[in-house]
Amino acid sequence: MASAPRSETQSVIPALASERPVIWPPRVYKTLSNGLEIVLVESHTIPKFTGELFFRSGNAVTVASAPGLADITAAVVRTGTTARASRQIEEDLRRMGADLSSGAGADNSVISFAGLVDFADGLLALVSELAREASFPNDEFERERRQMLEGLRIERTTPGFLAGERLRRVLFGQHPYGTVSPTEAQVTAYRVEQLSDFYKNHYRPGNALLVMVGDFAPREMLAQIEKAFGAWPSGPVEEAPNPPLPGLQGRRVYLVHLPGAVQAQILVGNRAITRRHPDWLRLTLANSIYGGAFNSRLVMNIREQKGYTYSPRSGAHPLRQHGYFSVGAAVRNDVVAATLTEVFYEIDRMRSTPVGEEELADARSYVTGVFSLGLATQDGLAGQLATTTLEKLPEDFLETYRDRVLKLTAADVLDAAQKYFDSAHAQIVIVGDRAQIESQAALFGALEVYDAQGNRI
Amino acid sequence: MPLPNGLRVVISADRTAPVATVGVYYNIGFRIEPRGRSGFAHLFEHMMFQGSANAGKMVHIKLINSSGGVLNGSTHYDVTNYYESVPSNALERVLWLEADRMRALKVDDENLRNQRDVVKEEVRVNVLNQPYGGFPWLDLPPIAYRNWANAHNFYGDFDDLDAATLDDVQKFFQTYYAPSNAVLLILGDIDPDEGFRLAERHFASIPSGPQPKPASIEEPPQLEERRGEVEEKFGTLPGIAIGYQAPRRLTPEWHAAAMLDHALHGGRAGRVYRRLVLEQQIAVDAEGGIHYPVGDLFDYNGPTLMVTRILHKPEYSVEQTITAYDQVIDEMKEKGITSAELEPIKVKFRSNYFSALEGGHGAYIPRYGLMHLLACFTLFDDDPRLVNTILGGFMEVTPKAVQSVAQKLLTHHNRSIVIRRPVKKGAA
Repeated sequence: MASAPRSETQSVIPALASERPVIWPPRVYKTLSNGLEIVLVESHTIPKFTGELFFRSGNAVTVASAPGLADITAAVVRTGTTARASRQIEEDLRRMGADLSSGAGADNSVISFAGLVDFADGLLALVSELAREASFPNDEFERERRQMLEGLRIERTTPGFLAGERLRRVLFGQHPYGTVSPTEAQVTAYRVEQLSDFYKNHYRPGNALLVMVGDFAPREMLAQIEKAFGAWPSGPVEEAPNPPLPGLQGRRVYLVHLPGAVQAQILVGNRAITRRHPDWLRLTLANSIYGGAFNSRLVMNIREQKGYTYSPRSGAHPLRQHGYFSVGAAVRNDVVAATLTEVFYEIDRMRSTPVGEEELADARSYVTGVFSLGLATQDGLAGQLATTTLEKLPEDFLETYRDRVLKLTAADVLDAAQKYFDSAHAQIVIVGDRAQIESQAALFGALEVYDAQGNRI
Repeated sequence: MPLPNGLRVVISADRTAPVATVGVYYNIGFRIEPRGRSGFAHLFEHMMFQGSANAGKMVHIKLINSSGGVLNGSTHYDVTNYYESVPSNALERVLWLEADRMRALKVDDENLRNQRDVVKEEVRVNVLNQPYGGFPWLDLPPIAYRNWANAHNFYGDFDDLDAATLDDVQKFFQTYYAPSNAVLLILGDIDPDEGFRLAERHFASIPSGPQPKPASIEEPPQLEERRGEVEEKFGTLPGIAIGYQAPRRLTPEWHAAAMLDHALHGGRAGRVYRRLVLEQQIAVDAEGGIHYPVGDLFDYNGPTLMVTRILHKPEYSVEQTITAYDQVIDEMKEKGITSAELEPIKVKFRSNYFSALEGGHGAYIPRYGLMHLLACFTLFDDDPRLVNTILGGFMEVTPKAVQSVAQKLLTHHNRSIVIRRPVKKGAA
């Protein structure tokens, strides 16, 4: 086989060229007189636009009365208005080449939509109708309720869900963030009036943010938005309650028994901070070095060296009132103890030894680079702008992000690890078949065992 | 335009953001892997991250992450891809890395043992330890197909993964990873002339290799309905998946089948969801598509199915559910579709296509969707420009063509059904 001569350069890694600056797309901010906040961004890659209409009220508001109420409210919102029945809504969306979905998290409810710019008027009118004149048909409510029940039953057989649910309960206790899903009995007890009350009280323009990215001229789009949403009357909105958090002393282990599991889902965590906290970027950088990137210490250790797991990752998870840090890995049953040993070894190394200059520089490049990549897709850009506005971050949060990350030092990383990777009081959740993993789990702290329904056994 | 060694190069410039996405697609997927080595194409994909001539284990990942980029790879039916998104100042570094591993893989037994363990945990986390894991993408092929290439376990039997050797790895690399069996794509912040110059600098000296012999992936004609059952270990609802043999790509029948598919499976306005979930409320979920759920209309190059996946309420029997589904199918065959239904479907189809072009695979791989289409059109059809013209054929489909293709495809002897039966009783 003939082979071409190799040139000298082929064994040398090409250097980085000089960086081109991030180009910020033109943005328009506006608040209508009824309080609706609007962020518009031009992006002309395709003749479409995407939008999200957020309400700053999610499931956290209703945990005390009816957990999951924001979820089912959002689901039923899209099934009927005073002017359109469910089938009409779905057919109108198709006719406009549009997609629409609605949902809720702990802190927000949202109607997401995307469509062809030719039909922008029609789609905005429909979104406005869903936000203002949802009619909560009883038959649609009952159908959604049953689907939600069946969905819950399946979730309770999913290791990742069970691990996340238990960790949130442990970290946040009776605070609304401690409940991520309702029980079947709670869903069965929903009344349709509870949905329409939540809707009346929280789907308000003064509680809302509309973010749109796409192929439009912002000034003209603003006029269209005013037409669709301007006459929407404002109204007061109650805040989410913020009860005290449980005290967490020492490592504890929570085993969720899933009979027949052929793998153990490990999730270790502790409470941390929100995006508004001055340490947020320090924590972001420390997390990327610990386990937040492919090239991170944890992934190198338990995946690339030891082969315990496919997808180990750590993450800093910000909610509106509080945040938490977690480390997750799905591992084979016989290496549960070995994995936890490495998880804590790497945490303790982050907490005790300053990171070296090269690793620090690599991590700063990673965090700033990925930030730029996220601004280069419509979804990513819309997400960044929405978060900045929803969480009331400083106006220059995005513009200064890269510079602030590039200034962080090894001392900043050490400080963040010591504060937010809480090795001594880490809470350890393991979902798996009890007989396969219990003795390993018990090595790491006082053990409590639960079934998949959340009952102590 | 191909380099002398046969590597095709496709560039799509868009300089609005200072980021670039690079992909290398090889014309080999999990359909064609050696017998007795199920799951090998995917295991091999992992090995491509384990070291090459001048970039040892972890160097590849470290160089991309530390340049501010992200990377991954994925194995499909007929292609395997490797891709990176980076700030554009790191573009040449990415090309150097991709060229290095196209030139020579440098891996050892320890790497293979390590990635075999990683892949087994991947299979557990995605299939064996999940409710409805692999349903129906791993369940339907063994029932629907007779040719091992189409019918085997694409993620791999653990015995087969254990049997894989380093020799297998090098042989697979020699057979399928020659430059002439690949396409290099550069998208985003790049001047096209500069892109071709860089491609030539880093890839032109890679020796050409023999083209792999075309493998037989043809299926004998199906003459009877095929059925099978798989146990559902975790989930509480019965699942049913129905797959009809789909037409070949780029034929008029394929265009019509795409519109038929959209009429049936186009979200909540589609006939299957509307009837089974919203109106009759037999099912709690029903969705589907051509080459669903691990691919789409464009990224296959051999036999595939138009699939419907249903989870139904336990108080209905499997047969009752299939009967209700068959009513939807029979209505389409008997009464066809009106222009009033078809024209909005075309609008939505066009809109979906634009979104596919823009899609960033989650938001951090700018231009992933465009890259994927360009790669498939290049490797399968030798014509990346199809990306600009492909919509035309779909827009010309008539109601009559939809009905004809429905009558031809949606027959019992052209379909396979798998039941996913829960071990546990649901509530009710």
